[in-house]
Amino acid sequence: MLNEKPTLKSSLKAYLYLLPMLVISLVFNIWPIISSLLMSLYTKYNFYTDKVSAMGLDNFLYLWNDPDFHLAVRNTLIFVAGVVPITVVLSLVIALLLNQIKWLSGFFRTVYFLPFVTSTVAIAMVWNWIYHSDYGLMNYFMSLVGLHPINWLTDPHWSLLALIIMSIWKNLGFNIILFLVGLNNIDKGYYQAAEIDGANAWQRFWNVTIPMISPITFLVSVNGVIGSFKVFDQIFALFQGTPGPGKADLTIVYYLYEKFYTEYKYPIAAASGVVLFVLILLVTLVQLWYSRKHVHY
Amino acid sequence: MKKSVWGKSLIGAAAVLVGLTLAACGNSNSSSKSSTSDKKVTITFWHGMNGPYKTALDGIIADFNKSQSKYVVKGTAQGNYTALQQKIMAGAKSKSLPTMAQTTYTTVPDYVSNGFITPLDPYMLKGSDKLSQSSLKDIYPAFISSSKYQGKYYSMPFSKSTRIMYYQPALMKKLGVNKVPTSWEELQTLGQTLKSKGVAAVGFDASFDMELEALARQNGNALVSKDLKANLNSKKTLQVTNMIFNMLQDGEAKTAGEDIYGDKNFTSGKTLFYIGSSAGVSSMQQNAPKGFDWNTTTVPSYKGKKATELAGNDLVMFKSASTDQQKGAWAFMKFLTSKKETIKWAEKTGYVPLRKSAVEDSAFQSYLKQHEVNKAAVDSLDAGFQSTAFKGFTEYRNDLLDAVDSMTTKHTKPADAMGALQKKTETILKDAK
Repeated sequence: MLNEKPTLKSSLKAYLYLLPMLVISLVFNIWPIISSLLMSLYTKYNFYTDKVSAMGLDNFLYLWNDPDFHLAVRNTLIFVAGVVPITVVLSLVIALLLNQIKWLSGFFRTVYFLPFVTSTVAIAMVWNWIYHSDYGLMNYFMSLVGLHPINWLTDPHWSLLALIIMSIWKNLGFNIILFLVGLNNIDKGYYQAAEIDGANAWQRFWNVTIPMISPITFLVSVNGVIGSFKVFDQIFALFQGTPGPGKADLTIVYYLYEKFYTEYKYPIAAASGVVLFVLILLVTLVQLWYSRKHVHY
Repeated sequence: MKKSVWGKSLIGAAAVLVGLTLAACGNSNSSSKSSTSDKKVTITFWHGMNGPYKTALDGIIADFNKSQSKYVVKGTAQGNYTALQQKIMAGAKSKSLPTMAQTTYTTVPDYVSNGFITPLDPYMLKGSDKLSQSSLKDIYPAFISSSKYQGKYYSMPFSKSTRIMYYQPALMKKLGVNKVPTSWEELQTLGQTLKSKGVAAVGFDASFDMELEALARQNGNALVSKDLKANLNSKKTLQVTNMIFNMLQDGEAKTAGEDIYGDKNFTSGKTLFYIGSSAGVSSMQQNAPKGFDWNTTTVPSYKGKKATELAGNDLVMFKSASTDQQKGAWAFMKFLTSKKETIKWAEKTGYVPLRKSAVEDSAFQSYLKQHEVNKAAVDSLDAGFQSTAFKGFTEYRNDLLDAVDSMTTKHTKPADAMGALQKKTETILKDAK
């Protein structure tokens, strides 16, 4: 079957199999992308009648001059840089540890996976209590080691860090599972060969494990970068419908949401979405280029 | 074998297509059906009421449906106010708006300019079902004046609350305060003495924007005047902004921060008084610790003047509804704002009655005697005011909240925060004109 030459009939058949998925992604993915690209160029536009009276690049100019948007881009970049590397390293370490133990490993896997399947709003409510300046666990634990209490949610200096910590915790579970799969797929033969060559545990990790799970590391970091760029629901839930104290947690998607839903500036919201798209595209391209050299399949 | 694969995949593809077309047609079917089924006209009504509020509203809707035979009102709770706004936006885009909905009066200008809603004048001021002149005058002026936009009535007041001040007699005694302050001047002096005892005199919600707006009015100017002039960094506004700012900096006042509402600081004794919404009375009754001693009064005056901001939601009617539906929606609005129903609504929810005759009603007065904490809101009505609504109001309100937030969390100086806000607001107002 696999070696059959493509004929008109077999191609048609293939397309037919693909049709349901194609229809769904055209309707729900491709078309919205195209229409928001177009919308970002509308400068005089009635959203409800779809009447476009003028087009241009004014919306991007608006973003270029809007200090709030600059802040949103800055916060988003800090968030991505804070969340992704730590998530990758931490989930790899936990996955390695889980892989070592036999006893209770199923239990721990469940524990780490729970945040991933729990709704963000529920998680944020819990963290809201953890971060509470007067009654919160976080400040309690900090006081045990002699640290001053911090107003995690109301001090603009700390609230972005609060968001980053919560997001790392929430992302861990899924990435640990991915790493566990990767670790289990490594042929034991490599380790045995390395041992015969006299490699110690660290050398085995560095020269066998790291290269062998590089596809998973790549997957996890690409996923993490894209997901983190799109951060919104955590902010909305943790800061109860505000972009944090002094806008310290205003991100690009939160900016988009505000422009779209509360300020009725649809084309500007679309333009900020396009900027986000380009940013993610650029970072992903860099990652792809890097992966060509360092990821071993 | 081959044939059956073809057949199956064709059936699969057909099923997907049928599903998609059905989903696409769903909306258009439902809206055309409503006016023809039975003989009764269906009025669809979207609202943002939850819990006990929803139960009370459902009861009133059932009463209305029983009271006459021409219309059937179908109420749908859309979650909270934010979700309701989003649903209305989506409904407008997909041409599936209901007959009527709850919304804040401040969205009216935006809804008018986008062509969603229609004036109530043809039904409210003319025709067989109109409101009589005396009945119109019976509604508190602050409520009905905000219903008017560009000379036409676009909304009817419905779920309305005022700002009130909560106080705790027991804690007052303990701290040696023998009188509830009735003015900001008294409150300030009290703040200075209480500070040393580790208690802030007054607590606010996370944002003090409504208190600021009231104080600005008491000091002689609205934040945005009726003729759309911004007074955000005027001398009068800055004077009161500085007053609140200094009280906060000195620990004489306290904002709620991550608690959002100031009731937690109040019940835990961190603040002696709390200025908040009268809609919070019912949650205070539910959440306050057992035996906690509290009562309510009107918000303090400033320079001898009283003012309290009215908040809450109005009812609007959508242009896309048929004439029969609009007539029915009006009949329902009239029913909701009638003396009998507004009393029932007030007693069940803690929102204020909309009519003077309702407040004067002897049965309602005796209700207030039994429910002392609900009295302050009603007493505030004569001094009630609402903000000036204009196109772009929600954007202005975002900016106002940002300015207040930066003063509370970043300690930005009032002159800087309000100066920046003035500039932004002037741009919005220029577009609105």
